[in-house]
Amino acid sequence: MSNTILEAKNINKYFNDPIRIQVLSDINFSINKGEFVSLTGKSGCGKSTLLYVLSTMDTDYEGQLYIDQEEMPKKNEPFLAKIRNEKIGFVFQFHYLLNEFNVLKNVMLPGLKQNKYSEEEVEFRAMEKLKILGIEHLALKQANHVSGGEKQRVAIARALINDPHIIMGDEPTGNLDKKNSDLVFDTFKRLADEYNQTLLIVTHDPSFAERTHRIIHMEDGKIIHS
Amino acid sequence: MKKKILIDIANGLLLARWKQTLVAAVGVTFSITMFIALLSFMSGMNDLLDGLIINRVPHIRIYNDIKPNTHQPITLDSNYKNAHHFISSIKSDESRQSIYNSAAIMQAIKKDNRVLGFSQKLTAQVFFNDGNIDITGSMSGINPVEEGALFHFEDYITAGKSQDLTKINNSIILGKGLAAKLLANIGDVIQITTSKGERFQLKVVGIYQSGLRDIDNVQSFASVSTVQKVLSKPSDYITDIQIKLKDITQAPAMAKEYEQLFQTDAEDIQTANSQFETGSSIRTLISYSVGITLLIVAGFGIYNILNMMIFEKMDSIAILKATGFSGRDVQNIFMYIALSIGIFGGLCGLLLGFGLSSIIDQIPFNTAALPTIKTFPINYNPKFYLIGMVFSFFTTYFAGWFPARKASKIDPVIIIRGK
Repeated sequence: MSNTILEAKNINKYFNDPIRIQVLSDINFSINKGEFVSLTGKSGCGKSTLLYVLSTMDTDYEGQLYIDQEEMPKKNEPFLAKIRNEKIGFVFQFHYLLNEFNVLKNVMLPGLKQNKYSEEEVEFRAMEKLKILGIEHLALKQANHVSGGEKQRVAIARALINDPHIIMGDEPTGNLDKKNSDLVFDTFKRLADEYNQTLLIVTHDPSFAERTHRIIHMEDGKIIHS
Repeated sequence: MKKKILIDIANGLLLARWKQTLVAAVGVTFSITMFIALLSFMSGMNDLLDGLIINRVPHIRIYNDIKPNTHQPITLDSNYKNAHHFISSIKSDESRQSIYNSAAIMQAIKKDNRVLGFSQKLTAQVFFNDGNIDITGSMSGINPVEEGALFHFEDYITAGKSQDLTKINNSIILGKGLAAKLLANIGDVIQITTSKGERFQLKVVGIYQSGLRDIDNVQSFASVSTVQKVLSKPSDYITDIQIKLKDITQAPAMAKEYEQLFQTDAEDIQTANSQFETGSSIRTLISYSVGITLLIVAGFGIYNILNMMIFEKMDSIAILKATGFSGRDVQNIFMYIALSIGIFGGLCGLLLGFGLSSIIDQIPFNTAALPTIKTFPINYNPKFYLIGMVFSFFTTYFAGWFPARKASKIDPVIIIRGK
């Protein structure tokens, strides 16, 4: 099991407001390197909640989370920020690009934060990622001057910049039309097949889920099959 | 490198809302400008008003006061040594007003290295005769060179030269009001009568204006030897020794010491003019409070603008945190924004403050009370600029700290899931 990227052990989570409700109960599963996993279920079944627990952004849970075989602490915020920076890439339903910067700079930001390569190298790597996604011609445009589908691809390039162990997506195609959805899906698929990139994508689009390697289906806070 | 990326992001945010940023910076600039101009002007005015007194008043004055003798016959009687004495109808004794052994005292003072300098002085009460009118006045015997060096004597000479007192025999400088009453001009000869009835002819060599009308109406100056001659006293007859110290705060202690040492009376400036200290410290306090209030108001401006910026940039903060910027990084970004507004605004404020003070410095200000002042007084003390800068730094720091802290606490999950 040395190629396990992410593992959840006995994860339970409760919402305390207004009354204590269990939203995740006894979640156990693991994801191996190179898998393209979709996480499905009805609205309110806890799939997004689970994703944010796995992303280390939500630390209010019980149980253990291992990323790259390392247990994630619940309190050390700067350490978790570093983990997210280096090991996890995010794609959300909304693109969350910084409008103050151009596309290239947006992609570079997590790379500059990681501070592993010089600025020139980060720029070169960012251009490479943009090329993989076929949007290198947008590099110098302001982030708010590109179309919705393009923005989502810029967000994917940003997720890729630090060569993360895993890319997590929360309904990344939720806001896109059919054509752009397909484009984004194809991008993910290509990343998984060609670059052996691990992906965990939350979706309620059955056609999207069907085409992934593996489906984890949730109902009422429990995993029904994985 | 890591810092650079935070600064890059901060600059991006700053420039994206450059109009608001500018308004915040202008707020700081305005308050610092007013702070500098107000303090420079107030302090200049304070120095001027204090100077009216302090420049002319010695730090320590050694003299013989008219008072009852402390050694009454009964105190010398050994039988009643430890008793309490009741003595009625004591009179001040008419002992000598001149300082005993003045030459030796002056020698001792000259050797004291806490002393900046001293001048000797004696005073005579005289009548100025103009036809059949006698005007009561006072005549001070001074050494114009020492008096000029220590007490800015020549600043108050509006016509003529103070040095002529020593160069021309039997010469006098008249107070402006006194000269007007006597219809005397430079070069005229006036007549005085002493209290003992002797008459002297003195030549007017200058006009003196202190700015205090009561003094100008009665005061006149002559050289020490002239006054000694008028009083028919020997050349060691001195009634006052006026001392200026290197450190004015030592005056009360040194006055006591000299009183003991020379067996005379000694009065320090703090005791003689305590009200001036109070006046200037109150004025300084008011200027500082107004200046600091301005700065705090500017601080609230920065606070508001940062709060608004954080509200608008929730999404950006959320994604920065999601992609690996820690709460601390986010806080640093907003602190950087606040401080750059503060420092940029503050520096502009210092320059404009200097400019405004220079303009005030050019405004004509003519008053009969202050003969040597032609424009508004300004004190260009670097201390004000330093205080202004430090305060602008701290107010913006605190104004930035609370919003920045709020930004660092934003939970990205809530923002992202809320969409």
